[in-house]
Amino acid sequence: MWDNATVMMLAEGTAVTLYMTLVSTLFAYVLGLPMGIALVITAKDGLRPNKIVYKILDAVVNIVRSIPFLILLILVIPLTRAIVGQSYGATATIVPLTLAAAPFIARMVESSLLEVDRGVIEAAQSMGAGLWTIIWKVMLGEARTSLIVGGTIALGTILGYSAMAGAVGGGGLGDIAIRYGYHRYQTDIMLVTVVLLVLLVQILQYIGTKLSKRLDRRLK
Amino acid sequence: MEAMIRIQDVTKTFAGRDGQVEALKGISLTIHKGEIYGIIGMSGAGKSTLVRCLNFLEKPTAGTVFIEDRDLSLLGEKELRKERLDIAMIFQHFNLLMQRNVLDNICFPMEIAGVKKADAKKRAMELLEIVGLTEKAKSYPAQLSGGQKQRVAIARALANNPKILLCDEATSALDPTTTKAILKLLQEINRKYGITIVIITHEMSVVQEICTHVAIIDAGMLAEQGTVEEVFSNPRTSAAKKLVFMGEQRSQKMEGKRCIRIVFDGKSSFEPVIANMILECRAPVNILLADTKDIGGIAHGQMILQLPQDDAAADRIIHYLQERKLTVKELDSYVG
Repeated sequence: MWDNATVMMLAEGTAVTLYMTLVSTLFAYVLGLPMGIALVITAKDGLRPNKIVYKILDAVVNIVRSIPFLILLILVIPLTRAIVGQSYGATATIVPLTLAAAPFIARMVESSLLEVDRGVIEAAQSMGAGLWTIIWKVMLGEARTSLIVGGTIALGTILGYSAMAGAVGGGGLGDIAIRYGYHRYQTDIMLVTVVLLVLLVQILQYIGTKLSKRLDRRLK
Repeated sequence: MEAMIRIQDVTKTFAGRDGQVEALKGISLTIHKGEIYGIIGMSGAGKSTLVRCLNFLEKPTAGTVFIEDRDLSLLGEKELRKERLDIAMIFQHFNLLMQRNVLDNICFPMEIAGVKKADAKKRAMELLEIVGLTEKAKSYPAQLSGGQKQRVAIARALANNPKILLCDEATSALDPTTTKAILKLLQEINRKYGITIVIITHEMSVVQEICTHVAIIDAGMLAEQGTVEEVFSNPRTSAAKKLVFMGEQRSQKMEGKRCIRIVFDGKSSFEPVIANMILECRAPVNILLADTKDIGGIAHGQMILQLPQDDAAADRIIHYLQERKLTVKELDSYVG
């Protein structure tokens, strides 16, 4: 099985998986981070309580999170087609991956920001800090290690989702595992893809943990 | 004297789980420039809410607060934030940014005020010198002791040259020695820079240590106010008495026997009054409570004496003390 073609295919699969994961995570944060911040700010005891905005965000997040990813993948095909021009392939998969991960990330950001000591926020208010200063410098600054830990979890989850996208021709390691391992009964190739996926998660987790520890000034 | 803070009929109502909770019920107070004003009360009396009304972190439900004749309730969001640059605040749990080092913590309020980075750093180093922590500039709050953290918080509070410093239970998380050191620092700041200081506390000892004036808050209402000497030597309300005579709760109830309370006003406390009295009246007394303190350089204190059974001897003693111009009050029952 270790012929050149297979190795090339596996290497390419790994690269495609990483591409899907990283780009989707990036886009998911572009959507999810503001949503998470908005959830915290508009909550009942937030800095700008707003029942309507909070309820809508809360509902959207819950609804999207409760749709199984495989179904969401198929559900958003028209949207994917509209944005990317086709419904299969790695780039097309980024659309459903981003949509599925954004609410998940919003929740993670929300819980990270809620950990920030209310006293510190109050202190900033007493100094005359405005809403944006408090969000950027106090909330995001103080929660940064927790946010990085959350980001690492998000990467792992999105990586898993991306493998699932293989089932509908998404490309990457998941795609290889299904085509060779499942349809062609080549168990060895499937096992190698599994090992590669495990390695990827391990590496991402290692980097995330290291980074969050290095940036945390509360220890030492 | 110039009024710095004028609290006018401030009422604050919170929507609690079971109906409305009235935290403040129409409080009016005037704090003058340069005073160290203590606001004391049992926990739950509403003093923390009151101090948050002074910088409008809590907006009063009714009534208003004037800072140097500016009505805070008339200010817009932006103007209010600007006003807060003049009203610094320190907290029981210090509330430092844990992910920033000491220097950057002190620079934070200057970032908000729009001070240039280099200027802010320079000012921060000066402030660190004032609070005596120059060598900790690059440390993180997690590496500091409670007292050091509060010093950093004080330096941070002084960054924008405020006119007022609000202290919300600033020493309640500190041990007695550190408390003394922090209070001394606050006193120095008050004297050197003329900053008006408002101290919220539940401990009478803090008020005695540095305050010039005191207000006693009880169940959301102003029970008593005045100079520390006035309130301490002649507490009128039960809330004031409770705070001033904390010691009484420790002793036993002495009903049925005659007890008196003597208040020293600073003149006679250095004279051995009690010893002379015993010698002169040739009658023993039982000292139930003795508590004398140095308040603002004047000796103050009180004693509670149990008098002999013999009424004639007891009257003699009272007469003797009154002759010495001491305030003597006979207590019906000891607690209360």
